[in-house]
Amino acid sequence: MRPQIILRYLGFVFFFNAFFLLTSTIISASNGDSAIYPLAFSAIVCTLFGLFLFVFVPPTQDITNKEGLFIVVCSWLLSCLIGTLPYILWGGPFSFTNAWFESVSGFTTTGASILSNIQSIAPGLLFWRAATHWMGGVGIIIFVLAVLPSMGAASMILYRSEVSPLVQESFNYRTRKTLKIILYVYIGLTVMETVLLMFQGMSLFDATTHAFATIATGGFSTKNTSVAYFSSTGIEITLMIFMVLSGVHFGLLYLTITGSPRHLLESSVFRYYVTAMLIGICLVAVSLHHHNYDTWPQAFRYSAFQVISIGTSTGFASADSSAWPALAQLIIIFFTLQCACSASTSGGIKVDRMVLFWKVFLRRLVRLRHPRAIEVIKVDQIRIDDEVVETALTYIILYLSVLMLSAIILTMFGTDIMTAVSAVAAAMGNVGPGFGSVGSMSNYSHLPAAAKWVLTGDMLVGRLEIFALFLFVTVHRWK
Amino acid sequence: MNLRVKILSGFLILAVMLGTAGGISIIEFNKISRSVHALLDENYKSITAAKDMTEALEREDSGILLLMSGDWKSGRSTMEKADKDFINALNIAKTNITISGEQAATEAIDQAYNRFKALWERPIVDTSRQGNMGWYFSQAHPAFLEAKTSVKELMTLNDKTMYLTASELKNRAGRAIMPGIVAIISSLIFAIIFNFFINLYVIHPIKRLTDGIRSYMKSGKMVQFHVDSRDEISRLTEAIQELIYFVKKDEKTR
Repeated sequence: MRPQIILRYLGFVFFFNAFFLLTSTIISASNGDSAIYPLAFSAIVCTLFGLFLFVFVPPTQDITNKEGLFIVVCSWLLSCLIGTLPYILWGGPFSFTNAWFESVSGFTTTGASILSNIQSIAPGLLFWRAATHWMGGVGIIIFVLAVLPSMGAASMILYRSEVSPLVQESFNYRTRKTLKIILYVYIGLTVMETVLLMFQGMSLFDATTHAFATIATGGFSTKNTSVAYFSSTGIEITLMIFMVLSGVHFGLLYLTITGSPRHLLESSVFRYYVTAMLIGICLVAVSLHHHNYDTWPQAFRYSAFQVISIGTSTGFASADSSAWPALAQLIIIFFTLQCACSASTSGGIKVDRMVLFWKVFLRRLVRLRHPRAIEVIKVDQIRIDDEVVETALTYIILYLSVLMLSAIILTMFGTDIMTAVSAVAAAMGNVGPGFGSVGSMSNYSHLPAAAKWVLTGDMLVGRLEIFALFLFVTVHRWK
Repeated sequence: MNLRVKILSGFLILAVMLGTAGGISIIEFNKISRSVHALLDENYKSITAAKDMTEALEREDSGILLLMSGDWKSGRSTMEKADKDFINALNIAKTNITISGEQAATEAIDQAYNRFKALWERPIVDTSRQGNMGWYFSQAHPAFLEAKTSVKELMTLNDKTMYLTASELKNRAGRAIMPGIVAIISSLIFAIIFNFFINLYVIHPIKRLTDGIRSYMKSGKMVQFHVDSRDEISRLTEAIQELIYFVKKDEKTR
């Protein structure tokens, strides 16, 4: 393995972060807020490091899989580390642990926060916080590769390390064009949502930051009470539409926008995604009616927003779901585990794996009835290899195992069961709010520092889809 | 890019990083200095004035009791001195309006004090008010308390601002120190990477070159040197290869 190659690619990550730090600095300067120097200094440090790596290491395109994996994992870790810089330089509630938590939560698009008074934070820093979502949402590497056409073959090795293995197998996504498609959809959706939110009465700053958080399925808001602050049905509907869209496979979205909606409508993954969400909304609304809200429209309004927000792993809140009945909370926990489709910005187990899980379950039933039957698993008429199926099932088991282990560790720090399980599920699924003391209207500031480190580990495990992180940790065993 | 520029850029980057950190620290320390000045000059001055006013008011209250007991001389001198002190302190507060709400607070003090003063300016000794505790508790004491409360409000207002400024100072101190810490850590990381690159792109090629020349001297066979970079090292490699080629050619012609 050649460390200099990894360092050169990390140089691009420095530049990418520096660009958004510089934008945040400009916003800070225009507001005259106190975050200008922390942001400017962070931007300068990033630019200098990027420049240094860029100047010293000559360009290379023949990178190995091992180097590719290292570049991807190191890019995430480096970005999270860069993300802490403006926070710790600004001070206030940001100790190093808190800054790391906020940064990892931003880049992994989790949206869990340690801030109890978000509105007291400088606007420039709030913009940076939203920008970490946006950068993390598209996947730092994909963005860098799509922007830099000079990389050629190297880009696809990095792409395979970055994107879920399930996406690579179930969709024909091996061309450079894919990277551009993801980028176009991502930017297009962000611009559209910003404009629509401004029409609903949001300021440009709030509209942009909320659009960043929605399209990245992040959930950081600039208000203490999240979306509930605006108390606007129009804003909630706009956010719901874009949250649902951000949870859909970006390739299918692109095809729909370019005039082929057939692919989207015929996709069994998409149909399952929408159906599960509709059933979830109805069940939660039924459990809320009379208990929390007197009228059906109110019950459906809050149920729809919360189910969509959690089901797409966004994590915005229009109501305090911690005060909802047990049935509603359990349904939301199910969506916290499942989340949305692969090749979207969503986290969690993902709908694609759930579809495969149900297909495997049905195949098992058929085999129990007809032991000699040869049953092939197909998704949308595409035959899925047993290896892919096995990987998906192993992923689900590993996911739940890590979740249980982390929840046990959290309870060791004195956290109650509901808070521990929901916080870990929300961190691993990159959702954000859980239940108990980390509900949709609360925050994570009260948790002990060690618990915050466990949760940031879970966020990274969830975002990098477990296998990449395990491979990274066991790299010395590679041959 | 040649080696000299690369090495120079390394040092320049380090210098810019440390210079920026130093610059930001200086700016933040300057802000701290201004905040401390504001804290002392603006808030502390008003708080001291409020304390003086409270003390003067209390002396006036005692003066009223002296007058009511018939001691005109002591009572009058206490009242005159306390009044003078109060007016002086009030003037200091009036000329030191620096925070929002301070203007209204001083006006309220002025009005409350004038109401209180109107009660004791008129003669007390040898009038129906001498020894009249009913008049004292129904009129003089409530007016005194009203004036004292309005002074307390000014003090609370300045106390709060002072606390906020002190908290901000704490944050500013952090902001002044943190760039230095970040710059030191960044410089250490930078130095490690710089050392790695110098080893990789300068020391190793020179070692390979030296080994190659020694190998040629021993065996007399042509040696191919491979250097990735396009800098002084690669030009040196080319020059040595040319030299070996010419030496070989020269040997053949002899």
